[in-house]
Amino acid sequence: MADLTYWKGSDTYLCDPQLAQAFHMARSLGMPLLIEGEPGTGKTELPIQYAQDIGLDLFVYPVGSKSNVEQFVGRFDHVKYLRDAQIEILNAQREDKGLTTRMTTGGRDPEQLGDYVMKGPAAQAFCSAHSVLLIDEIDKAPREFPNDLLYALSHHKFIMPESGEVIEATEAEMPAIVITSNREQELPTAFKGRCIYHYIQFPEADKMREIIARHHPEVDDRVVQVALDLFYHLRMLGLERAPTTREIINWLKYIKQFSSEEAITKIDKLEGIGVLVKTQSDLEKVQRKLFGDSDDFRKRSTFN
Amino acid sequence: MLETLPAKFRAYDLRADVRTLLTFRKAVERGLVKTLGDMYALLKSLVAQEPSKIGPFTRAFYDYFLNIDIENGDTLHDAILRSETFRQWRQDLPEGGEWDVADLVSQFIDAVHLTHYDIHEIISGKELWDRDNPDLADTDGDDSLDIPEKYLDRMADYSDLSLEELLERMREVLRNQKGKHAGGSHWIGTGGISPYGHGGGAKNCIRVGGTGGGKMARRVMGDARFFPVDRDSILSDNNVDAALSALKGIVDESAEESLDVPLTIKQGIKRGGLFIPELKNVTQEKLQVLLLIDNGGYSMDPYIHHIKELFKKMKTRFSHDLETYYFHNTIYNAVFSDVRRTKMVSLKKLLDKDPNYRVFIIGDASMSPYELSQGSMANWHDLQRKFKRIAWLNPEPEHHWNYTMTISVLRQIFEMYPLTPAGIERAVVEMNRKTGLARRG
Repeated sequence: MADLTYWKGSDTYLCDPQLAQAFHMARSLGMPLLIEGEPGTGKTELPIQYAQDIGLDLFVYPVGSKSNVEQFVGRFDHVKYLRDAQIEILNAQREDKGLTTRMTTGGRDPEQLGDYVMKGPAAQAFCSAHSVLLIDEIDKAPREFPNDLLYALSHHKFIMPESGEVIEATEAEMPAIVITSNREQELPTAFKGRCIYHYIQFPEADKMREIIARHHPEVDDRVVQVALDLFYHLRMLGLERAPTTREIINWLKYIKQFSSEEAITKIDKLEGIGVLVKTQSDLEKVQRKLFGDSDDFRKRSTFN
Repeated sequence: MLETLPAKFRAYDLRADVRTLLTFRKAVERGLVKTLGDMYALLKSLVAQEPSKIGPFTRAFYDYFLNIDIENGDTLHDAILRSETFRQWRQDLPEGGEWDVADLVSQFIDAVHLTHYDIHEIISGKELWDRDNPDLADTDGDDSLDIPEKYLDRMADYSDLSLEELLERMREVLRNQKGKHAGGSHWIGTGGISPYGHGGGAKNCIRVGGTGGGKMARRVMGDARFFPVDRDSILSDNNVDAALSALKGIVDESAEESLDVPLTIKQGIKRGGLFIPELKNVTQEKLQVLLLIDNGGYSMDPYIHHIKELFKKMKTRFSHDLETYYFHNTIYNAVFSDVRRTKMVSLKKLLDKDPNYRVFIIGDASMSPYELSQGSMANWHDLQRKFKRIAWLNPEPEHHWNYTMTISVLRQIFEMYPLTPAGIERAVVEMNRKTGLARRG
């Protein structure tokens, strides 16, 4: 049977119960889980941590603007095929002339079309039972990509090019499929209809404190508190690119090398704020909003 | 079972159909649906597949299952407080407790959103707790321990209940209620809400849920992000992002490989006649946009900011060619490359550009008829002939178009769309349809 245990996260990964439940539902129903949410809220981490924690094989397909189904499923390597076919002829000619040296095809046989099919992550995942397949940032793909996956998603089946080999997994053995998206473009409804959808809510302060504790257990509570105050304050400012979980975790990585007292002063001075605020116009906005009315504007506005 | 559910969802502008019900049934068979909270979680993941649908979904859910009508601008709290369902649920509470109303509403929400996962969690949490505290378990006559035990037992029972049993229980409650007062339309009685009767949780200081669905549902109501933006309203700060996502469709990318003939021949000759096909990546990611904005006159003022915001965002996202020019009412022999219209660029220069440029003309097309002189009309025609992918976006409401003479005239030349996210999307779709045409031309 497929792994249907209810997985709630690991030591390093705090999984929101609602996300964990959606993930479990998706696996039980044999449907892909489509996760959306702000960048840096741990969308991609879910399948990685899950595979690691349970000890399952993980196959990743990072989607880009050039992605196509061939790369994802498998493609026929025409170049190698032609090369090997040519080599056969060449070898035969050499034999005729009494030459003994032969060129090798590297174990591939042009008679076996399957030898020339390069399996993509999807085919590999469907070949190995109970694996995890991550399709990362599907919103970056050309528009037809999600539509091209429809058949495979509903039938748990891929047909390999040229060789015609059918790769199929039963619902019990099919990989747990996780698809992430940053909503840069709308996905087709037909595609979404075949997924279990979950929108990751941005964690509230309490939850964030737990998340931080998993990543940086050694940081002083007071430091975390001050950092979180600032962090959520920044998020309220309506920045173009509001800081997210990833940013605060990275920022604390920098902050934690100092003693608690030092760290708090550094946070107050917004040192290393570049980790949290990523664009020039946002930086200016932060400067204006946080120090706009304050007298010691000059003194404090040094962004290092 | 639940046959009327898709219709109800569709009334809230959500997408639901037979497949939704089939998946739902499958989930029931797999034991995923045991409580009302399970239904909420599952249906949400099937029906509310973008953030802006979660708000309407939550409303539809409360309406259908609990007969609680959440009006626009209502908080979940207020809607529940007003409802008959809550009144009855409260009525059935065991005597002898004084509870704060706000607290009761929270309990109600928690009970609604309790999932079977939560129940398992609580039960296994309790077991762990018992194992860790052997001393406490021995102490007899301790009330605070005694009651939770019973309550947990009931919860355990409940988690093994099949959906059919649950529904039966709810129907029964409904029948009873019908006797009481000429029967509401609501589908689930209060008896179906909570697995453990009433108030058991709070009374024994075990706060159920409060973390999961309930919290979510509460948050959703007060947050504009979880409601759809009006895609037919004129471009504003609120829907700039929606428009942007429509605009994104204009990047036509393709990922294909093609045979590199020259390289194949060259390499083949080097190999002494062994021709191995060489492939090359064909990248077509050309997004060239010309933006012609009418910034003359007061009529266009309110829109300039949003338009620029929209295309600025677009530019940072894609960093492709985007050129903006300005004109006043109509184009004579030149456009201007700056907002204040001091730097002239001759029309001829525009017309010399690659015909694959996508051109958006943004203007209200409202002017004195004499401005559409023969000369300026010829210029519009030239633009239209040159650029196959050209669209006019008009901030004027569409139903006014027929009453302005100059709009009617320009509409005969250009395809005109309202300057709304939906209008932009239509324009982009239409443009993309012409892609093949432009390439050949």
